Amino acid sequence: MDAASIRNFAIIAHIDHGKSTLADRLLELTGSLTAREMQAQVLDSMDLERERGITIKAHAVRMMYTAEDGHTYQLNLIDTPGHVDFSYEVSRSLASCEGALLVVDASQGVEAQTLANAYLAINNGLEIIPVINKIDLQSADIPRTKEMIESAVGLDATDAVLISAKTGQGVPDVLEAIVKRVPPPKGNPDARLQALVFDSWFDAYRGVVILTRVFQGTLRKGQRIRLWSNGTTFDAETLGVQSPKPVEIEELKAGEVGFLIANIKNVADTKIGDTITDDANPAFEALPGFEEIKPMVFAGLYTVDAHEHTRLREALEKLRLNDASFFFEPESSVALGFGFRCGFLGLLHMEIIQERLEREFALELITTAPGVRYKIYKTDGTMIEVDNPSRWPDPSEIAKIEEPVILATILTNEEYVGGILKLVEDKRGKQKTFEYVSSSRVMLHYELPLNEIVLDFYDRLKSVSRGYASLDYHLADYWESPMVKLDILVAGEPVDALSIIVHRDFAYERGKLLVSKMRQLIPRQMFEVAIQASIGAKIISRETVSAIRKNVIAKCYGGDISRKRKLLEKQKEGKKRMKRIGRVDIPQEAFLAVLKVGEDSD
Amino acid sequence: MICMPLGIYISVPFCRTKCSYCNFASDVFSRVVFERYVDRICSDIENAPRVAAEMGGKMERAVDSIYLGGGTPTVLEAGQLERIFGAVRREFEVNSEAEITVECAPGTLTSAMFESLLRCGVNRVSLGVQSFVDQEAAAVGRLHKRATVLDDVARLRAAGITNINIDLIAGLPHQTAESWEFSLAETIASAVPHVSVYMLEVDEDSRLGREVIAGGTRYHAHFVPEEEAVADFYTTACDRLQEASIAQYEISNFARDGFESKHNLKYWTRQPYFGFGVDAHSMLASVTPENNAVRFAPADSLEQYMKGAALQRTPVSRTAALEESFFLGLRLNRGISVNDLSSTFGEQAMQDARAAITEFVRDGLMEQRGDSVCLTARGRLLSNEVFERFILADEIAF
Repeated sequence: MDAASIRNFAIIAHIDHGKSTLADRLLELTGSLTAREMQAQVLDSMDLERERGITIKAHAVRMMYTAEDGHTYQLNLIDTPGHVDFSYEVSRSLASCEGALLVVDASQGVEAQTLANAYLAINNGLEIIPVINKIDLQSADIPRTKEMIESAVGLDATDAVLISAKTGQGVPDVLEAIVKRVPPPKGNPDARLQALVFDSWFDAYRGVVILTRVFQGTLRKGQRIRLWSNGTTFDAETLGVQSPKPVEIEELKAGEVGFLIANIKNVADTKIGDTITDDANPAFEALPGFEEIKPMVFAGLYTVDAHEHTRLREALEKLRLNDASFFFEPESSVALGFGFRCGFLGLLHMEIIQERLEREFALELITTAPGVRYKIYKTDGTMIEVDNPSRWPDPSEIAKIEEPVILATILTNEEYVGGILKLVEDKRGKQKTFEYVSSSRVMLHYELPLNEIVLDFYDRLKSVSRGYASLDYHLADYWESPMVKLDILVAGEPVDALSIIVHRDFAYERGKLLVSKMRQLIPRQMFEVAIQASIGAKIISRETVSAIRKNVIAKCYGGDISRKRKLLEKQKEGKKRMKRIGRVDIPQEAFLAVLKVGEDSD
Repeated sequence: MICMPLGIYISVPFCRTKCSYCNFASDVFSRVVFERYVDRICSDIENAPRVAAEMGGKMERAVDSIYLGGGTPTVLEAGQLERIFGAVRREFEVNSEAEITVECAPGTLTSAMFESLLRCGVNRVSLGVQSFVDQEAAAVGRLHKRATVLDDVARLRAAGITNINIDLIAGLPHQTAESWEFSLAETIASAVPHVSVYMLEVDEDSRLGREVIAGGTRYHAHFVPEEEAVADFYTTACDRLQEASIAQYEISNFARDGFESKHNLKYWTRQPYFGFGVDAHSMLASVTPENNAVRFAPADSLEQYMKGAALQRTPVSRTAALEESFFLGLRLNRGISVNDLSSTFGEQAMQDARAAITEFVRDGLMEQRGDSVCLTARGRLLSNEVFERFILADEIAF
């Protein structure tokens, strides 16, 4: 098709602001799907995506639309992940579009997530069409929503499209606006091939599937292609588009979006942001914006049952086939046995991987406290990056430590600002900006150490704002900080899985909280058990679990014998589920407590 | 092995009132129910040989102990008691030296009942005293007072029944170190030759236990002493009774020399017994060599039992038998002979156990006495922790 008739667009929206419902309406109106074929929210195809109402993988759907001007247009909807953890993927999806719908809930207003992605779209030079959704609701406030779009995003909202994706009201206007306002793609179908990889995944039957946007040249079936970043070459076996059912096609010309299958075995080869070019006649340069994805959050994953370690490895390998953005390497813990040190894009990403491991592979996991990667400058002049407390060097070898810092955008209602300011100050935040984006809505920009975010920031932000605050962030800087390694000792033995890296000023309080939590969680044993927190050789906190005095069944006669056996078996089973460190049985909740210790400090 | 005279247990699940700490299937019923229940027991006794065969157990006709427990067996009418004993004596050969015990709630012994007990050959009575402090007894729903107990003891003696047991509970609501000492002193002063001391069980099976767990105030639950205090009470009991030459021979049982309960010893030494009535369990030697023994029990509710619900049968494998030998035998102060177990079950099967014993001896929970090992005082209070180690993960290949 002629590039003049193509429109590539994305939808930017906060969770629950109606992105998926709108996408479904568009598919319906363009006849891409009949109402009968509609399964609610077609695009979020993973169970997890549907349950959580989030998009993890991108999709690209082609729709044919005959506009009021009588022309038929090819509309490519590129659905992007919506979470801060995946902002690089979002940026690549947006780079594949010329326009974006900015969907804002008429009663909720602009949220931080929306804002971040809208800025990303503006920076990518996209034409943005504000769409105000849920106008059918009683609580809809269109003038206020427009005001927020203008002050927070800086867009003219005069021509915002007013819709109810639920009832379908106004949705045809969205299609017209796309055709009229989103510019057609540029690019020469006869130039040397430059196509952007904006997502990829592993399909058990077809191998790696790449979603791509052709910027220059034409990608043809059978063509020998080359991936720019690593120089590997493949034959383009299948080209196609989703409409939304997959349809094979012969070529993708400059401006078009579709999928490519090229007998690629390893999803790690197809890096998001990479450029596909022709092997024989390569482009002169790659498309801009390629970055290697770097994990930001790190944690150890262990199976509850040590015998399942091999199953965990197999599961991680399988998941990695589909998600090249997390990494893992074997790690062993005295306390937890063999496991894996894993790196994730962010906390949500970590949760998703954990949940998929537990759900799809039926594994029971113990996760150690999430942490970040520090730059440690040693006294011998070398620099090492450390994300695992067990690799923390001896303090005498450390000259200085730098920790990653994020720039956070928080949008909230005025009444919660007090609580939020206290929270970010507690978390060592530095204020950058504080502004009203409407009469009652405040936007904060703060620099915060990532280390403070990974522990319990989300939960606490939610609780101080009763859920009325949204957060977005990106890595911004490194700060030199006096970080220390805090160890927990049980009966004199350090429990490596409980060690955390913490700011020196917080070490005492954190140690005290952890020790007191451990005392509540470690059941009384046959002997007294000391629980201590230490920094190096210095004990900073100590509590004692007193020994149990009695565990005895007083009455044991004829009928009690079977009952007694059951009781002993249950007791034994209970202990088997604990981890034995030295002579102390530690329940799994104790390992989880380290993740939650901040919650009680409110 | 198990081929010795049988013990017979008869369950009478009836009471005048239900005590708050009770976790047994007993309750308050009408006299019509009593009569039907006694009919059912008598027919079960007649059927015992057939049932034993069906269950795959070896049953001896010789009997050297009978135990009527409850509930409160003495709520039955004299005639009903006599019918039960009549049935037992018709079906079994009750040894002239047999120990015949009946549990009594203090204050339920009418003179008619006395005569009946004697006619039935009862030579041992167990009194459910629980506390000599009237307020404590009343708080859990006991209907007697201290004076009632002392009167019963005197009357039993006068009737020629001198083998008397007194049950006490450590950990009743309102109990204090002083009041506990008082109950112990009264028990010792009564000069009975046998005492059972049970630490209150706080679990979901009794009204009081549930209330304590729920943190409520019904049944005086908020006056239940702390676990630490109960452990102290227990230790005090062991000391005081020992001082009075009433020596501990099992975790909860104390007796003057020669007055240990023959019947109850069967449970801990894995000798055969046959139970009749609601929730009355039986254990017999297995007729087939692949199992060591067989356990079986009727329903644990009166309604199900009267409807004739099927017996639940649990074969005891050799591995299970070895485990039982530990967790039952170690309840006794005399302990167990490791060499005896080794010759019964084979040295191969004993290896884990020997390692565990070494560890427990080191930790002061067990002690070695010649060929025997037994629990220490601390080991008894932590006996579940010890016993757990002798529950094996897998069946041993013999």
